[in-house]
Amino acid sequence: MSRLKKFITDFGLFFKGATDFKGRAYEMLESETKTEMDNFILICFADQLGMPLPISYYTLELLPYLVDEIEDWDKRMGKRKSVWEERWSNYDLDP
Amino acid sequence: MAKIIFYGGKGGVGKTTCSTSNSINYAEKGLKTLLVSTDPAHSISDVLGMDIGRSIVRIRENLDGLEIDPEYEAELYIEKIRANMKTILSNVIVEEINSQLDAAMVSPGTHESALFDKISDIIIDKYDDYDIIIFDTAPTGHTLRILTLPDLLEGWMGSLAKKRKSIVNMNKMVTRKYDEKDPVLEILERRQKRFGEIKKIFNNTNNVRIRFVLNAEKLPIEETKKALKMLKQFDIPVDTLVINRIMPDDIGAEFWEKKRKQEQEYLKEIEMEFQGKEFIKIPLLDSDMNKSTVDMLSKYFGE
Repeated sequence: MSRLKKFITDFGLFFKGATDFKGRAYEMLESETKTEMDNFILICFADQLGMPLPISYYTLELLPYLVDEIEDWDKRMGKRKSVWEERWSNYDLDP
Repeated sequence: MAKIIFYGGKGGVGKTTCSTSNSINYAEKGLKTLLVSTDPAHSISDVLGMDIGRSIVRIRENLDGLEIDPEYEAELYIEKIRANMKTILSNVIVEEINSQLDAAMVSPGTHESALFDKISDIIIDKYDDYDIIIFDTAPTGHTLRILTLPDLLEGWMGSLAKKRKSIVNMNKMVTRKYDEKDPVLEILERRQKRFGEIKKIFNNTNNVRIRFVLNAEKLPIEETKKALKMLKQFDIPVDTLVINRIMPDDIGAEFWEKKRKQEQEYLKEIEMEFQGKEFIKIPLLDSDMNKSTVDMLSKYFGE
């Protein structure tokens, strides 16, 4: 029974996604990925911001591969105005 | 039999002398032995009267030695990153990262990490080449730190790898490039695996022995007590204590006369070697360190 229920839900979600012409799902996924990337950069190089990090020596070798992501991170952090606005603008809150 | 032995103890009790003698003993029994000094103030070279450097050298039959130089190891690691960087990045960016790498060379955790990295390399890569690996460590806290690091680091690398993996998967959906490999994830997973291997070796109490060196004096006893208590908290057993510098039973005037003669010679050497310095000379006392001896010695610092 629960499997059938799950199937119906997934079936519904499929059409919801497939008919999402405003492209909100894609946008949300993209911004969520960026947020996660930013968090990752922060954890890897927290010592640069003054937070002690026992693994900072071992994340050094990631630097060459993370150059682009760090640059994006830098830009996004600079453009930041309101954390709340950034967060909630992802969601369609209009009734 | 244990494959890895750590020598620990308070500064000055004779860790290096004991670990070196112990390794000579193993070598003479025909066991292939590697003696590794991790103390930044290396003295195996001085004890043996021969140059032992930052890479493995032969000391005698069945015995090899090495004094880890954390600064050199950190430099090697960072040079490797620099070289690697030049192949994948443009010059402008290379400059920027270079300054970050320079800063890392002098940051506080670098030496410890480089040292631990080298220890891991030796344990993993040389495990099959030797019957016994003996580590002569720096004073007490250091030994404990080395033994608990793999657990901590494996945890960190594990959660970083997990996070990276989820990012890679999400990013694949965004960019729609599904078969791209992520070098960052590969590095993290390789590190995690390596720390895990060390952790596995350390956790098997048949593999690792810790020997504490102490003298029959107040301060080393107190420090050994503290160290054993700490190691117990981490479930690391210590079954052997090495008590160094015990007076012989038939001690007599002759013994002390010989000691005094040797001391006189060293005093002369000190005065020669450090000419022009001011010397404060304090005598040996017949009682061990306590409150009243400290008071008594204070008069020597008169002027």
